[in-house]
Amino acid sequence: METLVQSASYLFDLGVIIAALAGVTWGIMGGALPGISPSITMALLLPFTYTMEPMSAIVLLASTYIGAEYGGSVPAILIRTPGTNAAAATVIDGYEMNRQGKAGLALGISLYSGVLGSLFGLAMLILLSGPLSRVALAFTPPAYFALGVLGLSVIATLSGENLVKGFIAAILGLMVATIGTDPVTGGTRFTFGSSELLSGIEPVMIMVGLFAMSELLVQAGRRGEAERVTSRPRIRFPDLKLARRLAFPQSIGSVIGTFEGVMPGAGGTIASFMSYNEARRWSRRPEEFGKGSPEGIAAPETANNTVAETALVPLLSFGIPGSNSTAILLGGFLIHGIVPGPMLFQRSGEIVHGLYAGLFTATFGMLVMGMLLLPACIWLVNRPRPYLNAFIFALILSGIYSIHNSVFDLGIMMAAGAVGFFMRMLRFPFLPTVLGLVLGYLVESSFRRSLVLSGDDLLIFVNDRISLGLLTLAVLFIAGSLGKRIYDLARRRRVEAFSQGSEARE
Amino acid sequence: MISRDLVGGLAAVVIGAVYLYFAYQLRVSALDDSLGPSGMPRIYGWLLLSLGLILTAQAVLSRLIGPPPAAGREALRGEWEGQGRRIAWAAGLLAIGAAYLFVVEKLGYLVSVALLILAAATFLGARFGTRLLAIAALGAVALWAIFALVLGVSMPSGLLGRLGV
Repeated sequence: METLVQSASYLFDLGVIIAALAGVTWGIMGGALPGISPSITMALLLPFTYTMEPMSAIVLLASTYIGAEYGGSVPAILIRTPGTNAAAATVIDGYEMNRQGKAGLALGISLYSGVLGSLFGLAMLILLSGPLSRVALAFTPPAYFALGVLGLSVIATLSGENLVKGFIAAILGLMVATIGTDPVTGGTRFTFGSSELLSGIEPVMIMVGLFAMSELLVQAGRRGEAERVTSRPRIRFPDLKLARRLAFPQSIGSVIGTFEGVMPGAGGTIASFMSYNEARRWSRRPEEFGKGSPEGIAAPETANNTVAETALVPLLSFGIPGSNSTAILLGGFLIHGIVPGPMLFQRSGEIVHGLYAGLFTATFGMLVMGMLLLPACIWLVNRPRPYLNAFIFALILSGIYSIHNSVFDLGIMMAAGAVGFFMRMLRFPFLPTVLGLVLGYLVESSFRRSLVLSGDDLLIFVNDRISLGLLTLAVLFIAGSLGKRIYDLARRRRVEAFSQGSEARE
Repeated sequence: MISRDLVGGLAAVVIGAVYLYFAYQLRVSALDDSLGPSGMPRIYGWLLLSLGLILTAQAVLSRLIGPPPAAGREALRGEWEGQGRRIAWAAGLLAIGAAYLFVVEKLGYLVSVALLILAAATFLGARFGTRLLAIAALGAVALWAIFALVLGVSMPSGLLGRLGV
């Protein structure tokens, strides 16, 4: 209750309102562009947040995530091309409705379901994140080390088909985190005499490079005209009768979205398809699915917008980003020197309350902006890709330069982009690299400080109850994931030669 | 046929070996804790090297133990189809970016970013003409307005600064 009252006080904060509306606007436009995922949309904004107030910056990024999840459904419905991975399930019935001349209603159902999903997800976020803040004060260096290990254990579920590739990607991130000043002795490591590397490589350079720059490099090789939107639909919301029919699939989407959002490594895409399947299974008219069923839009769109909120639970509570988008949001926190995790609610409670208020504003902002921006989205989708990509390239280079007025940073970002390009080609996932990068410092510094405190006695990690609990959780997480892999392998009776592509989860 | 996993595994081995070489060059100080500044880097280096070898072995074994059926071989061949062309296009775009790095402080932000948009759009398939020139110029002015005027970032003035513009 106290959280709600404190959050409500930020509902009329002009900075929060502007950031929420700007974020949701940018998110809808970015999400509507096929190939530009929510994480890329957020990564493009990241450099701009340096000059902003921390609260506005976090609200801007989180609102972008929400807007992008809805934006992805616009091209999914209009040109059968999902703007985001999570909107892929919407294509099935959304495009069929478009073919039947009901594009406006399909977009209305998507927007309406997205708003409901976001509101439910926000309620779950507030409900689930709060209690975890109470254990904050008991955290010691061993507990922080264990927290870092728990974060890294998420890699087990984020590695696609090949666990080894996931670990390799994570170690690359951990290696980059060792560049700069040593966390305990203050000596320099891997700087090669460069003063620019003394303070290490900021995660924002790597994130923008891996997500945004590598996508541009991949798209550089694609030629040919993209499909254009020829119709000019107007959003139409469902009437009361249809709204009642949609209530059940929306409930399914909300519940699955909550579960998948809280679980690191699951995500919007899985939640959307699971919700679609469950909605069909429990529907009174399952035969309509695939032929333009409104329920087939309501369930996945509710689910992916619920995920956009509940995916913040592991990030705010433990500092663990379970998806690409929340990893970018973590970058936004780190830029302002705020470390999400147990102490966030103690040290920066106002940021959390402002974030809740901002997400609430963004959800209703999405309703308005979704209607107003539809013509702009259609215009943007119809722009020739060479112009659009050239402008995005200029935006990335300008944004990164603006952080420290440094050409060196641009070089780092472009190098990360090239690495990301080859990682995509060789099918290495990105998220473990980002996890390694952001958790590397925490893991190393906490581990070494704990050893200094205990006189090199490793039992300190077992004697500390929080540390023991978190390490046990990490072991269970890895064991569960490995067990599932072995089970799947035994069932299929063949070894997968390749792991699946990067960016599996947005 | 060389699979992507084999290339990825060998790349990890090379990166791990180079990183390890530099990790062992880190200086030891009397003030160090028991693990020291080189402790974790050495662990990471050996881990990467080992995982690279495992991935390489996986890739080789999957070819030796269970030769893929005709469809699998076809898929493996298809994996690399067109990748050389994609790398060349990506390298071209990177080269345009690298050129921007060299000229941005000399020519200034406004001129450099206009040239960047012009070069990148042309490279990505836009037709060169007055429309593209106008888009590049207007795009550069719009970006300059966002960064220099709205956000107050000090972008390099370069050539225009020396001309007193």
